[in-house]
Amino acid sequence: MPTISIPTALRQYVGGQAAINVQGDKIGAALTSLTAQFPDLKKHLFDANGKLRNFVNIYVNDEDIRYQQSEDTPIKESDEISIIPSIAGGAASEAEVLARAASPELNKEEIARYSRHLIMPEVGMEGQRKLKAASILLIGAGGLGSPLGLYLAAAGVGRLGIVDFDVVDHSNLQRQIIHGTKDVGRPKLQSAKDRLSDVNPHVQIDGYELALRSDNALEIIKDYDVVIDGTDNFQTRYLANDASVLLGKPNVYGSIFRFDGQASVFYPKGGGPCYRCLYPEPPPPGLVPSCAEGGVLGILPGIIGVIQATEAVKLIIGQGEPLIGRLLLFDALKMKFKELKLRRNPECPLCGDQPTIKELIDYDQFCGITPPVAQPPVAETSDWEITPVELKQRLDHGDQVTIIDVREPNEWQISNLENYGSRLIPLGQFADHVNELNREEEIVLHCKMGGRSAKAYEILKKAGFTKIKNLKGGILAWADQVDRSMPKY
Amino acid sequence: MSIKLTTEQIEQIKRHGEETYPEECGGLLLGVIENGARVISEVLPLKNIRQDSRHNRVELNPLDYARAEREAAKRGLGVWGYYHSHPNHPAVPSKFDQDYAPFTEWSYLIVSVHDGKAQELRAWTLREDRSQFDEEEMI
Repeated sequence: MPTISIPTALRQYVGGQAAINVQGDKIGAALTSLTAQFPDLKKHLFDANGKLRNFVNIYVNDEDIRYQQSEDTPIKESDEISIIPSIAGGAASEAEVLARAASPELNKEEIARYSRHLIMPEVGMEGQRKLKAASILLIGAGGLGSPLGLYLAAAGVGRLGIVDFDVVDHSNLQRQIIHGTKDVGRPKLQSAKDRLSDVNPHVQIDGYELALRSDNALEIIKDYDVVIDGTDNFQTRYLANDASVLLGKPNVYGSIFRFDGQASVFYPKGGGPCYRCLYPEPPPPGLVPSCAEGGVLGILPGIIGVIQATEAVKLIIGQGEPLIGRLLLFDALKMKFKELKLRRNPECPLCGDQPTIKELIDYDQFCGITPPVAQPPVAETSDWEITPVELKQRLDHGDQVTIIDVREPNEWQISNLENYGSRLIPLGQFADHVNELNREEEIVLHCKMGGRSAKAYEILKKAGFTKIKNLKGGILAWADQVDRSMPKY
Repeated sequence: MSIKLTTEQIEQIKRHGEETYPEECGGLLLGVIENGARVISEVLPLKNIRQDSRHNRVELNPLDYARAEREAAKRGLGVWGYYHSHPNHPAVPSKFDQDYAPFTEWSYLIVSVHDGKAQELRAWTLREDRSQFDEEEMI
């Protein structure tokens, strides 16, 4: 019969024996057999819900059953089953000491304001005071940052830090609901501060009107309890992740693309993976479109942002199960949530067993973004580009110019240069149509802003075309400089 | 209950704390219960397997524990507690200590190590309802 060895401290509940014979071909059965023989032992091993207490580990020979099949782990006659306690300890962390010492009081107005929190036992006065004592850093006051800021301010977080250097643009208003029409042209940080102060004047809002970079990230992040990543580019995601892990802060992650969203909490200190465990390398630049290039359902960051806010609040009040080690995937079109288990990668260079990354790096280089070459003054054009004004002059002059638009059909619907004979060949199919083009003709390629058409330019150049030019600034520049009546998007 | 330790054993624990400073140290206490007191025969220093926050967190390898139990059994002893250090922090259990303490039947020893020098060693027991620690007499 298999035997279970009992740790010293619990032997008094099994008549002083060090090892007990049990019945069963699986661990679950063996444990039931054990507690059936010794009912007193049960409450020391299991909690009120019948689950093994978190410090109780069951080993079969040298393997923890949690990494086998837990209670369904099969056992043979000759197996040695051991009950082994987890032993951990530690001095109160600085955050613990601060939180206890400075647990702020709530005044009458705050109590009335947060009453719907206070009457729930999971939050209560203690939870609300933890929120008031908390500092959360929001990286980005855009699509994700908007619902995050609004709901965290409403929830009564004591201090919100916001990092954003961008200016409110009309195209933001479809989803960045913290900003309004009156804010177009204002710095996002100012607009966000005004709105959040109105939602909750008790929140201290600290703004950082700058780009988060390797030379400022650690300094900014160190005074916050939780970091929430609401950025829109890979360099900043890796930077925020690395800084958070190096400083031991949880990083609440969220991302959106068209109709899909993701959320998780990266917190190696809390036992889970970091962003690099999930995505060890960034995608090649230009592969994953930004919201400006790929589009996004405006409502989507609302859903994902509030999920991030929920996770932040749960971390602070210490309730519920956080998304540590879990990747939440959301498909808005199907209205389905899926979850993937994430494990910390023991070989992760940042949070693994033998970390090699101990400082912040050059993230532009890491993501393959070459720094912008010093642009020549606007008046000049380099050989490969033509400005909208120049193009218009050539067309007015009667020059034969073939204009190729490499955007997508739905963009063509918004605005196009059909009146000038422009032809649509979306970039994805461009290579297939190259042999339809006439090398002898002057070809001008354009897209929305100049990025995609630059790629088409490269394709033609490699195919030996020489009379090719890229429209500098794309159709948006045309709308600015040549045709003010044309809608911009 | 009270806990009986020899001066050498106390020194051994203090030295372990000084050796690992500024990181936390941890180890097990092997002994027997005699006349209502935990009498410690052996102090077993172990390795802190935490990868991060080693200055204020310690974790012992469960397999080290298993080995300690087997060794103790051979000599008629049991594992009756564990000790760890608090670098630059009082020898008082923290909330973390309380959340992670496995058994209410154990002695928990904490040594405060300040700037590389061991200060006081204090013993604690966890109440049956796990609500808090009480100081234990060291004899």
